[in-house]
Amino acid sequence: MVLLQISEPGQSPEPHQRRRAVGIDLGTTNSLVATVRSGTPETLPDNEDRHLLPSVVHYEADQNISIGYEALEWAGRDALNTLISVKRFMGRGTTDIKTLGDQLPYQFVSGESGMPSFRTSAGDISPVAASAEILRALVERAESALDGPLDGAVITVPAYFDEAQRQATKDAATLAGVKVLRLLSEPTAAAVAYGLDQGGEGVIAVYDLGGGTFDISLLRLSRGVFEVLATGGDSALGGDDFDRAIAQWCCEQAGLGSDLDPQQQRQLMSAARQAKEALAEQESVAMDVLGWQGSLDRHTLNTLVDPLIDKTLRACRRSLRDAELDSDEIDAVVMVGGSTRMLRVRERVEETFKREPLVNIDPDRVVAIGAALQADVLVGNKPGDEMLLLDVIPLSLGLETMGGLMEKIIHRNTTIPVAKAQDFTTFKDGQTAMAIHVLQGERELVSDCRSLARFELRGIPPMVAGAAKIRVKFQVDADGLLNVSAKELTSGVEAHVEVKPSYGLNDKEVTRMLRESYTHARDDMQLRALREQQVEADRLYEDLSAALAQDGKVLLNEKEYHCLEVALDDLRNVRESSNHREIARHIETVSKTSEDFAARRMDASIKKALAGHSLDEIDKGL
Amino acid sequence: MAITMTQAAEQHITRHLAHRGHGIGIRLGVKTTGCSGLSYVLEFVDDQQPEDTVFDCGDAKLFVDPKSLAYLDGTELDFVKEGLNEGFQFNNPNVKEECGCGESFHI
Amino acid sequence: MEISDNFFEIFGLPVSYDIDISQLSERYRTMQRQFHPDKYAGKPAREQRLAEQYAAVVNQAYNELKSPLLRAQYLLSLHGVDGANETAITRDPDFLMEQMTLREALSEVRDANDSHASLAEINEHAIGEYRSLQKLFSECLGAADMDHAAEAVAKMQFFSKLISEIHELEHELDEE
Repeated sequence: MVLLQISEPGQSPEPHQRRRAVGIDLGTTNSLVATVRSGTPETLPDNEDRHLLPSVVHYEADQNISIGYEALEWAGRDALNTLISVKRFMGRGTTDIKTLGDQLPYQFVSGESGMPSFRTSAGDISPVAASAEILRALVERAESALDGPLDGAVITVPAYFDEAQRQATKDAATLAGVKVLRLLSEPTAAAVAYGLDQGGEGVIAVYDLGGGTFDISLLRLSRGVFEVLATGGDSALGGDDFDRAIAQWCCEQAGLGSDLDPQQQRQLMSAARQAKEALAEQESVAMDVLGWQGSLDRHTLNTLVDPLIDKTLRACRRSLRDAELDSDEIDAVVMVGGSTRMLRVRERVEETFKREPLVNIDPDRVVAIGAALQADVLVGNKPGDEMLLLDVIPLSLGLETMGGLMEKIIHRNTTIPVAKAQDFTTFKDGQTAMAIHVLQGERELVSDCRSLARFELRGIPPMVAGAAKIRVKFQVDADGLLNVSAKELTSGVEAHVEVKPSYGLNDKEVTRMLRESYTHARDDMQLRALREQQVEADRLYEDLSAALAQDGKVLLNEKEYHCLEVALDDLRNVRESSNHREIARHIETVSKTSEDFAARRMDASIKKALAGHSLDEIDKGL
Repeated sequence: MAITMTQAAEQHITRHLAHRGHGIGIRLGVKTTGCSGLSYVLEFVDDQQPEDTVFDCGDAKLFVDPKSLAYLDGTELDFVKEGLNEGFQFNNPNVKEECGCGESFHI
Repeated sequence: MEISDNFFEIFGLPVSYDIDISQLSERYRTMQRQFHPDKYAGKPAREQRLAEQYAAVVNQAYNELKSPLLRAQYLLSLHGVDGANETAITRDPDFLMEQMTLREALSEVRDANDSHASLAEINEHAIGEYRSLQKLFSECLGAADMDHAAEAVAKMQFFSKLISEIHELEHELDEE
């Protein structure tokens, strides 16, 4: 039995046409899924009414996998096979992992593409595969709560996530079989949840301290448009580090060495976390761990965590400088992430921004709620909605030039999507190839930046040095993912790469893993594919019919008009078939046939928008 | 002619209206469509239409247009939870046939 | 794609250095409200791709116009002058001398009694110079004196770089 939700006036969906979309906060410590029902965004609980899903996966030798609270129970007993905080390893290379600290209880092995995997008794597990398990659990929860397959999800990532980390997140979603409507920055999601809730205008600062990452974002909200002005942070700093600082202090107090086994490390960390949480309520807390008994008070805690909080505040000041704002120009400060429950954090943030931070939406849930609101818009449930998010890239993108230097092509905090081209030339006579090394980062030296991809433009006709003109084009899509192409202009020779970062999965790996995970679910996949194509066909049919009725007679000649009508009729007929490939082919045909029409309509609306400018000039008496 | 709702439905409608921040009640209706001919409409109401019949159910107001009222007379609106799924359900005594899912029906 | 190649035209602004930045921002948001790919959610893939291309151009145009240096360089390029060329100022020894003095002052900031105060002083001076160069550029452009306009832009490049180094140093001092 289908249970109905309340729609906006005039927007009741046709039967079986309800679009199911969710927002997923794939967190370091906990993950959540949220959706909008009857206009209200809510996080979805599990069967036991728990909203948080601990981001923990436990692998057993017999391939049995447990996720969430169930997996968490293994953490103390079977540390090596219990993957915690995998988000910290997303899109990271083996060398990054060494710098993450030697306190990690895991054994790492180098994966197929230089990406580290965890060695478990169920085999080598990549961080992407472990994240996919978490996503799958959330998707299953959502599909049973919404009574049907999902049409898509908005998945949040820390604003400071680089290209490799974003790509790894998208790969995890692909593995989990969920369509990604958008990768959205966590602070932007939080701003959406607060901004829409309070109907505010002005500049919002989002201070997001999660388990393993810290983000600061400054956004301007103006009539439904959220424009990210600057973003910064540290993708390797979070509440876990607070726990670690406490754990280290315990070690010193107890005279314990650094040779603890993984189980002991886990016990110590969990005791540290409990003590930290207890100190939000009381002045001092008794500790009893690994045979040591003592007590920790707020003052000691503050001295332990202040250096870490200082680090976050420096990032805040930097973002203010980037956005050319003073701290008194901030209209609201929003707190996100479980670690902002710490009183010390709130105190210090208030001191810095001279403004009491907002905490009225649960800091654990606010990101998922914002993502759900965006998902509802992107899946098409709220036509005509004013909300628009203008996100930025957090780190500059560029190329290696002579002397091992990084030349920036697109600077950090540039609004996406964006495209930019830059011309280069050959430096040797007769040079026929040019190596292109794509980088991300702020530093001058290539060795200090992250290498994203390397490719070569070959077949440049031999010319004297400096005569060839090579145009390299960077395109960043609305998810913050990069595409690079290079073209020699005098000869027209071209090369193109979709940047798959060196630490991501390559397409082959994704395909292989997908195949493995879906051998049992092939029928499901077929059905899902059919449904997706039918929905797509319906949408195309509706949109194009409406467009034809509106502009067809004006923008098309009789023959073109007739052509499109015939193609549309075909599409409607084939939609009833059960062959998803056949439907897909027709969709492709209709899209191609209507390409020109679409472009003409766009141009017409641009002209209209421009005419709008001149109208308001008249209004203003200019 | 009357339409009623359960206490659970009333509570949820009040909550959703409060979250939405504006609106005077909920519209119940039917439209012709779907695999068995008719389907339900459940929408927020910002402006009352002159021909609407209004039912006061506790804190929530229900608006029904005359054409729909003929199909909905005697209906009780309920809010139910089935496992993790939750939402509104029309208990409509006029329905003769439903499609398997209950999203559209026939009289 | 028929979207104008002229960044000023995209926002319906006069081709001029002295534009109203708040008007630019408001029109930018209006354009994005219409052409951002999210506004084409649920539309055919082809339209989404087109929207993405338009939005990318609008974003680039906004980025270039809102920055005083990039806007000046862009105006030079509209006049057929390569704005990224730095050779123009090597003829001005006084300017180079001033730059050297400023850089020296910057390198001594760390050793100063009050590093933050002396950095703030340099910053204020640099921003003042940067602003008067912007004014100079606008005047030269108005008088169609492209040589001096190009020279002003080349000098602006120096100051823009200096200011970002000041910011970087500010951040480093903050870290210590």
